[in-house]
Formats: sequence, C-alpha cells, structure tokens
Amino acid sequence: MVWLSARWKLLIMVVPTLAFFTIFVVYPVFYSLYYSLTDFIGFGTAQFVGLANYSTLFTDPLFWTSLRNTAIILVMSVLVLIPLSFLLAILMRRQFRGARILRALVFAPGIIAPILVGLIWVFILDPKFGLVNALLSAAGVASPPIWIGGSALGPISIAIVFIWSTLGFAMTIFYAGLQLLPPDVMEASALDGASRFQQTRYVTIPMMRETFAITTVLVITNVFKIFELVYQLTGGGPIHKSETLVSYMYFITFTSQQYGPGMAFAVIITILGAIVSVGYLFLLRGRRGVNA
Amino acid sequence: MFNTATPRRWRRSLATVAALGAATALLVGCSSGTGASGGTTTITLSMQQTDVKTGDPTTWAIVQAFEKKYPKIKVTVTGQPVAQHDQAIDVGAQSHTLPSIFWLNSADVASKLNKSGALLNLAPIIKKENVSSAFSAAALAPFKSGSTQFGLPYQALVTGLYYNKKLLSDNGLTPPVTFADLLHIATVLHAKGITPIANGANQSAYAVWSFLTDLDRFGFDNQIKGILAGTSSYDNPDFLKFYEDLAQLQKAGAFSTDVANLTYNQAVSAYSNGKAAFLDSGVWAAGSLQTSSVGADTAFWAGPQFADGVGNQKIAMNVVGAPLAASGSLKAGSPEYDAVSKFIGFYYGADGQQIFADNGQPPVTTFSPKIASSATVFQSVLDAVKGVDVPLTQPDQYLSPASQNAMYDSIFGVMEGQLSPKAAVDSVQKAITANKG
Repeated sequence: MVWLSARWKLLIMVVPTLAFFTIFVVYPVFYSLYYSLTDFIGFGTAQFVGLANYSTLFTDPLFWTSLRNTAIILVMSVLVLIPLSFLLAILMRRQFRGARILRALVFAPGIIAPILVGLIWVFILDPKFGLVNALLSAAGVASPPIWIGGSALGPISIAIVFIWSTLGFAMTIFYAGLQLLPPDVMEASALDGASRFQQTRYVTIPMMRETFAITTVLVITNVFKIFELVYQLTGGGPIHKSETLVSYMYFITFTSQQYGPGMAFAVIITILGAIVSVGYLFLLRGRRGVNA
Repeated sequence: MFNTATPRRWRRSLATVAALGAATALLVGCSSGTGASGGTTTITLSMQQTDVKTGDPTTWAIVQAFEKKYPKIKVTVTGQPVAQHDQAIDVGAQSHTLPSIFWLNSADVASKLNKSGALLNLAPIIKKENVSSAFSAAALAPFKSGSTQFGLPYQALVTGLYYNKKLLSDNGLTPPVTFADLLHIATVLHAKGITPIANGANQSAYAVWSFLTDLDRFGFDNQIKGILAGTSSYDNPDFLKFYEDLAQLQKAGAFSTDVANLTYNQAVSAYSNGKAAFLDSGVWAAGSLQTSSVGADTAFWAGPQFADGVGNQKIAMNVVGAPLAASGSLKAGSPEYDAVSKFIGFYYGADGQQIFADNGQPPVTTFSPKIASSATVFQSVLDAVKGVDVPLTQPDQYLSPASQNAMYDSIFGVMEGQLSPKAAVDSVQKAITANKG
C-alpha cells in the first residue's frame, strides 16, 4: 500500500503543472524581460542596450495614446459592465417565461470568437455603411457620429463592443454567485420588511463581495488583453489613434519588427495589468478590514 | 488519500510516460516540411498571402507547372498575411527552421538576414540553371553583397492607378494627365456621390503604392541618401509640397470617408463593382480586374505629373520589388538543394516567365512573353510603363520596417484628414532618426 499524502509525493504530483507553468509562463516573462534590454531585431545577436527601449517607448506619443485608450475601455467596462451584468443576473434569477432563452441570448456573444465579434460590429458601426448610422440618418440626424475610423470615438466604440461581448460571461459569474446565496438570509430580511432594493443593497451585494472582486479582476485582465477586437474593428486606425496596449505592442513588435521595444512594451503591460488587478484586490481587502 | 499499486509499478508507469514523452518530442523535433523520401523530394515555399492560390495566382501556377515538369519534386506552399509571414521568417531565422524558399519584405530585411548567415547564396544556382544572363544588372543589384546573391526579384513592382474609362466618360470627364486633372476629377465625382479613388488602410497600411511613386516626382531618389546619412531631412520643402497636394485631394473628397476602416480588398471590391473611379494598386491586380464587371472599361495610369514637382514627371514605378530568398541551411549537393535549384531555374526560365505573362504579370527577367489579346488590362499596364523612365526603387524599400510604417502612416494620415502635411513629414523624419534608416 502506498500513501500519496506524503509531502514529497505531493510535490512530485505538482511537478508537471509547475513545469508547464515555468516553461509557458515564467520562462517567456523572463525571456521578454531579457530581450527588452537588448536591440534584438528578431534574428542574429542581440546587444545589451540597458533601458533605451523603455525610454524610446515613453517618448512615443502613440504609447501614451494606447495607454489612454486602454484606460478609457477599462473605466467604461468597470463602470458599465459590472453593474449591468449584476443587474442582468438578478433579472435572470427571477422565474419568468422565456428566462432560459434570454439567458442563452445574453451569453451568446461570449462564445463568438473576438475576431468575428469585430467583423460583425464593423457592419454595425462603420460610419458609411453601418447599421447604426443608417438608422440615425433615417431618423433625420444630419451628421451621424464617426464611430470607427475617426479621431475621437474609436476607443469608446471598442469599449461598447467589448462590453457587449463580455456581458454574458460576467452575468454568468454573478448568476452563479446569486444561486449560492443562502435562501434563509433572504427570507429573514424579507420577514424584517426589507424591500427588494434594500435586500439587494444591504444583503445581496455585501454577501457577493468575493464574486464582485473575481469578476472585476477578470474584466480588468481581459481589458489588458484586448487585441482581436481592435485588429478587426479599426485596425488601430486612423493612424494608430484607436490602438490599445496589446494591439500597439503587436504593431511595434511584429509589423515594425522592433523586438526590443516590443518586449519592453510586453513587460510594461504585464506590470500594469498586475498593478491594477492586485491593487484592486488590496483595496478591496483594506475596505473589508475597515468594515469588519 | 490514495491507495495504489506497488512503488515498482509506479516507477514503471512513470518510466513509460517519460519514454512516450521523449519519443513524441523526438518525433516532433525530427519532423520538417522538407526532406526526401521514396524518391520524392519535398521543398517548402512560404509566401505573404493567406491563400496563395487566389492571392498570388502566378506563383501558384508556376508551382503547378513545376511539379508537372518535375514529378519527383513536391513543393509545399504555405501562406500568411504579411505581418505574420514576417514574424514566421524571423522565428525561422532564429531557430534555423526557415522554409526552403520564401518571400521577404524588402532588400533591407534580406540584407540583415544575409548578414546573420540565414540566407543561401543563390549565385551558383542561377549560374548552374543558366538564368543569370536573363536578369538585368539592376534586377540583381539590390540583393547582392560582394559575390553573394542573397535574393532574387520576386515580381516586377509596377504600381499606379487603375481607372474606369466608362465611369469617367459617363460623367463628362477625360482620363487625367496632370495632378490638376486628377483634382478636378475628384471634385466632380465626389459631388456626384462617387468615390474618386479607392484605398483601404485597415490591415493594409502599406496600400499607398501610387502615392509612393508621387514622392519620386518630388525628388525622392535624389534626397534619400542625404536623409539616411543625416545630412538632409525628410521634412523638406519638396516633400512638404507633395503632402500639401495630397491634402488638397483629401479636401476635394478624393478618398472615401471610411478609408481608415476599409481593407485593401474592400477597396478593390469597390472599384470592381463600379463604385469608385480609380484604384490604387499594381500589376498583380490586372488579372482579377480583367475578369471583374469593369474589366473591359479598365485602363492603367502611371500617375499624375505635378506642376510643382521636382525633376522628371514622366516616370512610372516599374522596379524590382521584394525578393525571394532561400534558406541558408540548405547544403549543396543535398536533394533539397537540387530541388530548390531546379525550382529557381524554372521560375526565372522561359517557362516560368511566360506563366508570369499568362497571369497578368510582367516578367522579372529580360524574357519577352506572348500576351493574349484578351488581356486588355495587363496590356494597358505594359503600355503605361513602356519606354518611361523609372525610379531606382520604390521609396519605402530604402527604409527599415519601422520607418516604412511611418511613411505609410504619414500618407494615410493626410488622406484620412488626421495629419497636417507638416506633421506628416515630421513623423517620418522622427522615425528615420529613431531607427537610423
């Protein structure tokens, strides 16, 4: 008889996962970090250039444009997507005719490949032949907005499409969280005379703090990974004005073949993503400490 | 808590898994696109088109004819969009897994790869295959370093504007000669709701070919050496004039308002469906335009003559473009090397060059092809460039990929009304300075 609970045996069982994680996550991160300090052009020998690539990036106005666009999408997503998906989850929890069909419909965009989502929305948002402006023109709007391809609304349009495509996913997490709430607590609050709003505000939301935290972190990390939507919807244009961090990093690294600055960009994105996500969790933990 | 079999069995199981893993890794490591087995040699050809069969019918037809002539050689054709292809070549060069033959973005990229030892010297091959005399010296020069021929011209780069003769005449217009003519046409057609010039920047930020030729009409060939050496600047009065003329076209409504969202293929589609009067493209599109609904009405124009231009205005872009190169890993005397040699001999020989002409491509050698009388679009391209002076090469070919992109962005930026002419020249100069070329 062999007991697998011994520590060294547990360690052996962890080894495959650890090896996989090291090869495909840890190694690439350090690999990027190393090449971010060189003048690597994709082949040949790389020379050490110190922090020159980081300096190049920080003086590139388009880096700041991509950072601003990502921030716009992030803020819109957190402010709109989280409350909207939570409210939808509450709505879906109620038993009414067609609830299942509605749930499937809301979740449907989440299973469409982002590149196809982008393609679909080109036909909706294109200022010349898109559905939205066709409707606005039919309604008598003389100069409908340039949703994509203009200098202002690109990141907002990307945020709208991102919210649309992620809404079902976020709603599903909230829906699962709601299902786990103990019914006796809800019954007790109802007996105490709490209205539906009061139940949601003072019982449901506090009890779902963990779910909110997980969903928000997932949304944040997904925003930092937006690429296909930009690629298909605007191509980063006009002249890179709608680039996000990842799409502009792709442009720098692969289209312009500047691997050194591209790797520096990747390192910055990793650090920013970690700061925002971990920072949010710390903030949440701090508040919990205050409330406790 | 698990109760399992004996430790020996455990170890045996682990050993089996490890052995299977090692065997799999070995198989993966040994597998390659190239090789010789059963008397058949396989070589790989990697191109910058997602679907080579439809996107580059000339190369596809050459491969088919080659395999028919050499049944013991199989050519595996792969293709990806330009950016992904470039990325795959970089990875291949770094890991010594380059395809046998492949397209490269520019002479600049080929030269860098050659310096890193990734490319095969093709000089002995074109000599052995008796095709070296078929090339003009100018066709080989961009891809030569000393006695090493690290690339060969892929296709002749003939670019300009296709135009719909019927659409112009239906609107009381005649084919343009000067920039003023083009500006007038743009104004008239825009007022009638017709897109004057079809262009698309989305996923095709390089699709500004005719405007690159316009840069040559403002003295690009004379200025570029000084610009690269740092003794003069891209931000100069002559280039600024070009961008100001481009801005005039933009203000006249020459370009679709959603040019930033359109892809090159959508621009071709707009022209092919009669919704645009001009198409910024090159000779590669002649075949598909011929079979489109506007094929019979299509002609080719080398581009406008500018009253404020610099130097010879009667020029056409008919130069050597991007190169084809071969992997430096190929060993002379190996079956793969011989197969690549035969393919190059076929590609640049009479059979291959006639296939060029049959598919609407001008030969890249001095070969004189027979052209079908039905190929009116292709004939109009050849007529437009016949006996006309040509620049040394397309302006972007002098630059690094990053500066190339800045150049494309500067043109599209003005075209989209996003950049002022001054900001446009400034952005390119900044990129050239930052990237040293």
